[in-house]
Amino acid sequence: MRVTEPRVQRTLADVSVGDDLPIMRKNASRAQLFLYSAASFNPHRIHYDRAYAEFEGHPDVLVHGPLQGAWLTQFLTDWCGPKGRLVGVTWQNRASAFPETDLEFHGRVAEVDPATATVELEVWEQTSDGRVIMPGTATVRLPS
Amino acid sequence: MAPDAAVSAPSLIPAETLALVGQRLSEPVTITIDRREAQRYAHAVGDENPLYFDEDAANAAGYRTLLAPPTFVSHAPVPPRSASQLRVDGLYNTGERVRLLVDRMMFGGEEWDFPEPVYVGDVVTAETRLAALDQKDGSKGPFVRVVRETTYTNGEGAVVARARQIGIAR
Repeated sequence: MRVTEPRVQRTLADVSVGDDLPIMRKNASRAQLFLYSAASFNPHRIHYDRAYAEFEGHPDVLVHGPLQGAWLTQFLTDWCGPKGRLVGVTWQNRASAFPETDLEFHGRVAEVDPATATVELEVWEQTSDGRVIMPGTATVRLPS
Repeated sequence: MAPDAAVSAPSLIPAETLALVGQRLSEPVTITIDRREAQRYAHAVGDENPLYFDEDAANAAGYRTLLAPPTFVSHAPVPPRSASQLRVDGLYNTGERVRLLVDRMMFGGEEWDFPEPVYVGDVVTAETRLAALDQKDGSKGPFVRVVRETTYTNGEGAVVARARQIGIAR
């Protein structure tokens, strides 16, 4: 059985400044947080021990900052298609994200450079009520 | 980075820690990018990109073999450690050299460059330096921004990734 589906290839000619990327939605279960802790060899209690997270002043366990970063790279590599390439990304974790909560990844094309076939993007993660919790930037290279 | 002149709180950064800025924080670690570990990571993220799972799809896109998810390379070098080294917060007490007068570490963000792809099977060396350390006054009190920069180099000597990881200690 295939775990994956073939992806559509985007080219530089498909992209214009101001374009919005299709929104990617995530909602992490507690089990997914546990899997990410395991797969990234991260034993930090704030991600699986609610009582400990509360002791540190959080209302619940927290979604890992690097998991949100990995989601951001997924959002970008999905948009690039298989022959596109993510060449740089930055993000700032400004506010906490929680499991069983709808999270959205948004992006907008800020700059297109045909000479280098690169696209600069403004990207951000927000809650479903529009609060930006992780702003960032990205550079991708697309086939011509 | 120069200390922030606006800081009014007492310094949370001991002088010997400040002296580490620019220094290598540990010996370089060399690991092999393992297919199963990389795929476990991709599944944990929920990122089932064919380039990580399907050799034919990777070849069709111009890659010689499967890729690892972009940020997996930062987790692969984590060394095996005894659970007896766990601190109360679950993090390892590794004889951390970046000693501060605060110890609650929050993740502040990351800045990545990916000059070359990271393939499954690549032998990658990770080397981490303390890039910057500065104290700021936040709305919830003073905090220290800790920037560690790790360079990832493959077996051919090419830099495949560079990551600046920003921690907030308060």
